[in-house]
Amino acid sequence: MYAFLRFERRRLFGEKKNLIFLGFISLFSAYFVWSGLNEYRQFQAEKKIFIRFEKEKIGQFVSYAQYGGFGFRLLYEASPLNLFFVNSSVLQDVESNIDSLEAIRVESSFKGNKLFLKRGYFKDFAGIPFIFGSLFMLYLGHLALVSPAYLRFMTGRMALKKYYALTTAARLFWLDLFFVVLGLGLFFLVQLGGLAFSGSERAIFFLYLLFLVLLLNFFYLLGQLTTILVRFRKIFFFWFFIIWFICIFLLPESNRISVFNKSRVLESAEKVNLEKFRTLMALEKKFSDYLKMNAATPLNQLRQMQKKFAVQFINSSFLLNTSLETKYLRDVEKVIAGHERQSVLFPTTFYHFFTGEASGKGYYGYLDFMDYIIRLRNRFMQFYLKNRYEGNEATVESFVKNNENIFRSHSRLPKTFWLGLLVTVFYGAVFLVLAYWLLRRQVFLP
Amino acid sequence: MIALKNLNLEKGDFYLSGLSLEVAAGEIYFLLNRLDQDNDFLFRILSGFQAAGSGEISYDGLRLLGAVHPQTAVFIERVNDRADFDTEVRLGQWLDFLCAQGLGRENIYKTLLVGNFHERQLKKMVRDLAPETFKLAYLAICLADEGANVVVNDFIKGAEKSFELKFNKLLLQKKAAGGSILFLGSDIFYASEIADRVGFLKNGRLMFEAAAADLKEMDIKDLYLKFLN
Repeated sequence: MYAFLRFERRRLFGEKKNLIFLGFISLFSAYFVWSGLNEYRQFQAEKKIFIRFEKEKIGQFVSYAQYGGFGFRLLYEASPLNLFFVNSSVLQDVESNIDSLEAIRVESSFKGNKLFLKRGYFKDFAGIPFIFGSLFMLYLGHLALVSPAYLRFMTGRMALKKYYALTTAARLFWLDLFFVVLGLGLFFLVQLGGLAFSGSERAIFFLYLLFLVLLLNFFYLLGQLTTILVRFRKIFFFWFFIIWFICIFLLPESNRISVFNKSRVLESAEKVNLEKFRTLMALEKKFSDYLKMNAATPLNQLRQMQKKFAVQFINSSFLLNTSLETKYLRDVEKVIAGHERQSVLFPTTFYHFFTGEASGKGYYGYLDFMDYIIRLRNRFMQFYLKNRYEGNEATVESFVKNNENIFRSHSRLPKTFWLGLLVTVFYGAVFLVLAYWLLRRQVFLP
Repeated sequence: MIALKNLNLEKGDFYLSGLSLEVAAGEIYFLLNRLDQDNDFLFRILSGFQAAGSGEISYDGLRLLGAVHPQTAVFIERVNDRADFDTEVRLGQWLDFLCAQGLGRENIYKTLLVGNFHERQLKKMVRDLAPETFKLAYLAICLADEGANVVVNDFIKGAEKSFELKFNKLLLQKKAAGGSILFLGSDIFYASEIADRVGFLKNGRLMFEAAAADLKEMDIKDLYLKFLN
């Protein structure tokens, strides 16, 4: 085995074009980590401004009616691990406004320098090994067994099975080592740069690297299998691009289209908003009718009635609207769960899903954000109504305590992570065995 | 000793019909065949990469089973394209790897020295070697196996005369050491020059056998037209 390791190390790292490609992957990965780190730092700086602005805003309100109308903004802060997956996330930089209005708004601002923040596809650390690493691994899988003539020559010296198994193991060892060292190196460099990751974030990143390596092995074995299927002919390069394109672009895109089609069963968000608006307006109408019928009622009595209506609103209409929103969110969750199950079926689709969740801005991050908004709105409404109708209107007290207006989303491991990992290993094992079986039939003719 | 007993096979355009022959120790037997692809096919059968329909192949009495070569046999393939052996390493590194698999480094260098091989070639990538240098290296690796029996598939075809002379020298050394050599080829003049015995294979049948010394007295043109045309 040691001789194979040494020989394959020389084959892989002694070849100029391989070194150029590996250098290119390292350089671009480092560049995107650096740019991710810069964006993270900029976000932190803007977060401070955001907090300061929100604090100042409260001081400007003269009444709780104003506070309820304008509300306060809620900022979505992704986990620091997001810097490795900036472009793999499902959500962009988003924020929401918590106010007394009926609709929940989640928005992304393109104001100022945020206009220039949008990157294209794959332009983050996770995208580089996915696009270029997969391409490289397919190619190296193609080169692994050299030619049938070479295999016959080697088989005269050792069993084909031994040569095949040890060559594959040795090549994968070095290539995996390269990608693991690259990933870990950049991870620790980021830490040296002053960013601290929690224990769970560290564990998620290490598991991400494990999956990445298995995904790349999948491509290597696919390249090896394709070469054998086309009998080592030059036409491999034609199939090479077709297979790569299908795996990298077509299947993930089909998966995305499929989830979009499935999401069509969901009611339109506007319809939900309209329903909530109707509930609110029904109560408003009731109050307006009451005013018309009791035009001569004194002001203090009116105020009492207003309070009564507000309590009624909290106990009926608001609860109804919240339940509408929660039900809608659970429907969205079902679509997401279906999407997750479907993504598990193929390594590249699962990679997309996994990196989205690891970024902290994935589908489940979105659900948590929405749940957080609903909870916060609930509390804010109670705070607002209590202070508006019962409290002292002279000073407007801030609802936000301990930076509650910052939603800290965590990187997460999908529930199906181990299943996705097993499916990838299964594909790899099938390719490995199938390639050997076909190779034997090509080397030893019946 | 190399022994082929009643080999039969019919596969596409190629067929063998009851091929039997024996190559004694210290003998070079040249089996002439018109078509290269037939020689390639027969070579694959003799080296165990192609199953024969029926019959038996043995080297020093050890029967060939698949490509599990008996320690006593060496197979030298006609290598036309270095690209088929481009492992993307330097020649020296390739030799290191093969030596780690049990090949005698001393034996390799012995052959290389006969071919006036220069050490600097070891630092070149296999694909950058001159065709003759690559062939010499390949030959050195093949002959480094201790096997007394050698099966050659038209190895010198297309090679320069100087290389052919070096190759002949090595082949004769092997013969002098008591090796049995079965040469598959299509060059009747080369056969008469190097071999002890010559056989003519036509349409899968061994049509005619003669001692090489007798061949020189026969009308080679006539033999060529009769069996190899």
